[in-house]
Amino acid sequence: MPDTSLVVFGSLAREEFNPGSDVDWTLLVDGFTVPEHIFVARQIGEELKNLCLNPPGVTGTFGNITSSHNLVHCIGGEDDTNANTTRRSLLLLESRPIGDSQAFTRVRNNLLRRYLEEDLGLWKASTTQKVPHFLLNDFARYWRTMAVDFADKQHDRFHEGFALRNIKLRMSRKLIYISGLLACFRCHLEMEDEGQRLRFFTKENSLEVAALLRGFLDKTPLDLCAESLFRFGGHEKQVMDFFSAYDEFLGILSDDSKRQVLKNLRPEQLESDSGYCEARKISHKFRQAADEIFLSSDNEIGKLTIKYGVF
Amino acid sequence: MNRIGYSTGAIALGDFAKAITLLAEHNFQAIELSALRIEEVEPLIESLPRLDLGNYTYISFHAPSAFGEHEEEYLVKLLSQLPDSWPIVLHPDAIHRFDRWTAIAGRLAIENMDQRKNTGRSVRELQEIFKHLPNSRMCLDLGHARQIDSSMIEAYLLLKIFSSRIVQLHMSEVDTQSRHAVISRAAEMAFAQVSRFIPSSAAVILESRVNEREIDNEAEKVQAMLSLARVEWGPASLATH
Repeated sequence: MPDTSLVVFGSLAREEFNPGSDVDWTLLVDGFTVPEHIFVARQIGEELKNLCLNPPGVTGTFGNITSSHNLVHCIGGEDDTNANTTRRSLLLLESRPIGDSQAFTRVRNNLLRRYLEEDLGLWKASTTQKVPHFLLNDFARYWRTMAVDFADKQHDRFHEGFALRNIKLRMSRKLIYISGLLACFRCHLEMEDEGQRLRFFTKENSLEVAALLRGFLDKTPLDLCAESLFRFGGHEKQVMDFFSAYDEFLGILSDDSKRQVLKNLRPEQLESDSGYCEARKISHKFRQAADEIFLSSDNEIGKLTIKYGVF
Repeated sequence: MNRIGYSTGAIALGDFAKAITLLAEHNFQAIELSALRIEEVEPLIESLPRLDLGNYTYISFHAPSAFGEHEEEYLVKLLSQLPDSWPIVLHPDAIHRFDRWTAIAGRLAIENMDQRKNTGRSVRELQEIFKHLPNSRMCLDLGHARQIDSSMIEAYLLLKIFSSRIVQLHMSEVDTQSRHAVISRAAEMAFAQVSRFIPSSAAVILESRVNEREIDNEAEKVQAMLSLARVEWGPASLATH
C-alpha cells in the first residue's frame, strides 16, 4: 500500500531473533489514512500467525496501525502517551522495515530533524560538545519508562513472565538505551578537531548532521555498541565482558527450556531457581562491565556519560 | 552558475513545437525536449533540424517513460541519433534489459523516481541501477526526492553520493497524485535546504506545469533558491561520513 511500511521491532530488528521471540510489528502509515489500512494490518497479523510466530504482547502497542502524525508531532507534552513514546523510541533504536521502506525512512528522518533542529543549544558556536540533548533526554526518559513499566506489568499481570521481563530489562532493554546514548555521543566523538566540529554543527548543515546520526541509528544496537566501544571505550577487558555477557544472555533466550522456566517462575521461586540465578549472574557481569566503561572518566564515552547521562 | 530552463512537456504537453515557440520569448539557457510517449520520439528527432534551439547552451532529451520490451532496441537506435552532447534523461523503471543501453550508456541521465515506482527512488535503489550503468549520469528530480522523503535527508544524500554524476535537476512541486505542479512555498523551503549542495555545473530544468504568464515567476523562484551559498563536494566533506 502506498505511504505505508511494515515495521518490525524488538529482537527481530536487533537481529537477535530466536524461535521463542515475539514478533512486534506495526503498519506505519505516513500519508493518506484509508479504511483499508485495517484490513492490511489484520492480514499481516493472520500471515504471521500462519507462520507460527509468536504475536506481539497484550499491551496493544504493537500488532496494529501507527500513524506518523503523533510520532513526529507529539514529542513530550500531554499527548505523548506511553505507547507513542515507546513506538517513537523503538522506531529510532530497534526497528527494521520489511518490504517497502519509504514511509519508514521518511518518518525516522523527520523525527531526527525535529530532535536536531529544535535542539537550539546544539547549534550555538559556544557549545563545543555536540551531543544532541533533546534526543538524548528522550532516550533516557524511555529507558526510565521501561523500568517503571516493568513494575506496572508486575502489578497488572500478577507476576506472570516476571523473571523473563526482569532479565530482558537488565540486558536487551539496557542495551538499546546504551546504543541510544552512544548514537548521541558519536555525533560529538566523530570529529576530534573542535574547529571541524563547530563548522559541521551549524543550523544550515542540519541535514548533514541528521544523516550522520541516522547512519549510527541504522546499525543494530550490538553493532553500534561494538563499533563505539572498541573505538572510544578503552577498557578492553570490560568491553569483552560486556559482549560475552550479552552473548550468554542470548544463549539463554535461545534455549527453549531455560526460556520457559524463566517465563513461568513466580517471584518467591527466584532465589532458589538455578536458571534465574545464572541469568542474574550474567546480568551482573553485563552491568559491571557497563559501569566500569560508562562511569569512568578515563575514557571519552565515560566522560560524556558522567556529564550528560546522569543529571 | 546553474543554467535554468524548462521541459517542453511542462509548457505544452506533447507539443514540443508550441513549447519551444513559447519559451523563445524568454531568456533561458537550458531546455529539455520531452518525448514522454514513444510515438513522440521519431517526429521530434525528425524535426530537430528545423527547431530554433540556438540560444540554448544546455539541451537534454527526455526519453519515453514507458515502452514495450519489443520497442527497446528501436528506441535506443532512435536516441543514438541525438547529438552526442545532449544528455538523455531516462526513467530506470522503464528499462527492460540494461545491456541494450550499453552503446549510449554514457549519455544517459538516470532519473530518481517518485513513490509510484518500486525502484530507482533512493540512494540504495539507484546504486543498484548504476551497477548496471556505471558510466551513466544522473538527473536528480528534487520534487520526487521530497515526495519520497519530506525531511530532505534523502535528497541531501542523493546530492552528496551522486554529485559527480548529476548533470541535471528537475524541479517542481510533486503532488500526492505524483503530478508536477507549481512550486509551493513548502516545497520552496524544502528545496532551499539542499540548494547549497546542488553542483553549479548542473542544469536546472523546471517541470512545473505553468501557464504562459507564470513562466518567469516560477523560474525566478528557483533562481533565488540557487543564489544561496554553495558547497562543492570534496574529499574533506566526504571523509566526515
